[in-house]
Amino acid sequence: MRKLRVRPRQVADVFLTYALLLIVSIIFLFPCLWLVLSCFSATGSIYSFNGFFPTSYSLASFISLFTDSYYTYLNWFANTLIIAVISSLLGTLLVIITAFTISSFEFSGRKALMKGALALGMFPSFMGMTAVYLLMTQFNFINSRIGLALIYACGAPMGYLVQKGFFDTIPKTIYDAARIDGASNLRIFCSVTLPLSKPILVYTLLTQFAWPWSDYILPKLLLKDRELWTVAIGLMSMPETEFARYAAGAVFIAVPIVILYFCLTKYMVNGLAAGAVKE
Amino acid sequence: MKNAFRQLWQKIRNLPSAVKEFFKESGRETYASMCFMGVGQMINGQYIKGLLYMLAEGGLIAYFALRGISDIIGFFTLGTVKADAWLGIEGDNSVIMLLMGIFAWFALGVLVYLYIHNIKDAKKYADMKIFKEHLPSFRDDLSALINSKFYKLALFLPLVGVLIFNVLPIVFMILIAFTNYGGTIVPPELVDWSLDSFGKLVTGSELSQSFIRILGWNLLWAFASTMFNYFVGLGLAILFNKKCVKGKAIWRAFPVLAYAIPGFITLLAFKFMFSNGGPINNMIVDNGGKIIDFFGINSKWMARGIGLFVNAWLSIPSIMLLATGILSNINNDLYEAARIDGASGWVQFKSITLPFVLFSTTPVLINQFIGNFNNFGVFFFLRSDVLSDGYFLASDTDLLINWLYRMSIEKNYYSIGAAISLIIFLITSALSLIVYVRSASYKKEDTFR
Repeated sequence: MRKLRVRPRQVADVFLTYALLLIVSIIFLFPCLWLVLSCFSATGSIYSFNGFFPTSYSLASFISLFTDSYYTYLNWFANTLIIAVISSLLGTLLVIITAFTISSFEFSGRKALMKGALALGMFPSFMGMTAVYLLMTQFNFINSRIGLALIYACGAPMGYLVQKGFFDTIPKTIYDAARIDGASNLRIFCSVTLPLSKPILVYTLLTQFAWPWSDYILPKLLLKDRELWTVAIGLMSMPETEFARYAAGAVFIAVPIVILYFCLTKYMVNGLAAGAVKE
Repeated sequence: MKNAFRQLWQKIRNLPSAVKEFFKESGRETYASMCFMGVGQMINGQYIKGLLYMLAEGGLIAYFALRGISDIIGFFTLGTVKADAWLGIEGDNSVIMLLMGIFAWFALGVLVYLYIHNIKDAKKYADMKIFKEHLPSFRDDLSALINSKFYKLALFLPLVGVLIFNVLPIVFMILIAFTNYGGTIVPPELVDWSLDSFGKLVTGSELSQSFIRILGWNLLWAFASTMFNYFVGLGLAILFNKKCVKGKAIWRAFPVLAYAIPGFITLLAFKFMFSNGGPINNMIVDNGGKIIDFFGINSKWMARGIGLFVNAWLSIPSIMLLATGILSNINNDLYEAARIDGASGWVQFKSITLPFVLFSTTPVLINQFIGNFNNFGVFFFLRSDVLSDGYFLASDTDLLINWLYRMSIEKNYYSIGAAISLIIFLITSALSLIVYVRSASYKKEDTFR
């Protein structure tokens, strides 16, 4: 029987690799762990912590999170939910239609449209926002949840490339076959394309839904009333003495989003690469 | 690029003869449509379409007569009557006038488009009438909208949305850059066209000094953070991809976790972590040290370094995910061949992995660069309450985008803010255009299609 020879260089390599992996994992895990443990702090203020971690644990910050009348988390949560539902439904409709049309029709002005979208994307996103803010103040459209949802939804078609990439993979022969059978475009879209594109529909709906929970710039600009704040703005307003409650509120919305991302990692990667291979 | 220009030039040169040709071949329908939209269609027997054109022209003319023309004049003057509460004069609101002026220009564009379309349409069907018994009815046109011209119907709603919420604000802001709107000059004061904002940014005032300083730091930041994130992300992807690593999915989950948490949550958490009463300072004090003011007014490079780290923590995972996908596409035979030839790990990385990954990620690098150039979040959350000496309303960690935010939204310097955003646009678009055109992935784009 021959003995398996283990060369010292290889051992060192494996050892080094795992050491690095461990360090990297700790770097990425530690802040998250810190946040999660902090929300179970009994006292709440960051000043009472012993080093990184709370001295005693309880559910107090979660209770105060949902019952407090100054930091009205439930209210912010409801606001964000309303905005997210409206913007995800409308936004998904607009993106899917745009991507489907640009992917499956050849028409004059198609290239120009795509280039225009590319050029528009080059402007700092802020530039438009200042103007949106000015316009909204001029027309007294400040402090409107529907207005904010509408802005999100109407901006959505600008990111049509991911969805277009998906529609591009559906073979054109299916459409041709349907057309020969006499189906209209609307019919084709409803009974051929849509059933085939469930994954991208789910992806679009979820990413559109998740965005209002993490955006802070537009809501900060447009929603001035405390009553109308979204979760992000509310959490941003909390001082160091309310650190545990901040952590609790943050974890409460981050957990669903994180789960969502883990389910969607595959599509996320495609989305990241979409800008890379398409024009 | 060159070809496109040549084609355009050809088109312009041929325009007079094309127009001549068009008139020579036109009948009375075309001329009728030229006089009043829709008349030609009526003569062609397409009554409903003709009526629609007529209504459109009537409506647009009414709009221009009632307010469109004065709106366009207002666009140039931006108001002449100043409001005066004592005398009870209402005065002009320059901003509204600018907005209405843009709208009037837009309506004019629609009118011209419809007019040209209407003439072409009249001629097309007049020519067709000679060969065909029946011209397509209005019902046929409608069904064409669902079939061959479906794209018009489908793109209408998204286009309107993008026009109102993306294009209009950007046009508005570009124009604002060329006015003196902001500071003390806000309605009811009258705003005027002027190039002052650009002048202030280039001539030697405090403003232009801050601008140059911030621009320098902004470029350094974008370059450093992009390179750092890119190579560390690539390194991580290679590390996770190593043969000896067991349970890749589990190791990879940690960076993905960091990627998945909304950015503002982690940014705020980092701010708490480094704050004066935060855990890091706590530990320093417990060990007998003095509190370090990480984001204080004097900690320029420390704050910048922490910003770089925090940004890396936030954006490396996405680059790692992307690089992982690209690495799995490399043909393994290449490595096999290299190994047989006796290439070491480093040589393999240098001559196979790196060129391949660089080739496939050039556009991503550009996106990353632009993203970092306009990285608002990091310093907004970490250090937005600091104003440094020698800067006009900015701190020494502020990027142009943070400065822009502070100027235009917190302090109402609208026109200067708009001018800065124009400059940001010019820089980012020029950079990406150069890199994009020169990069191999653009030149060879056609081979992948």
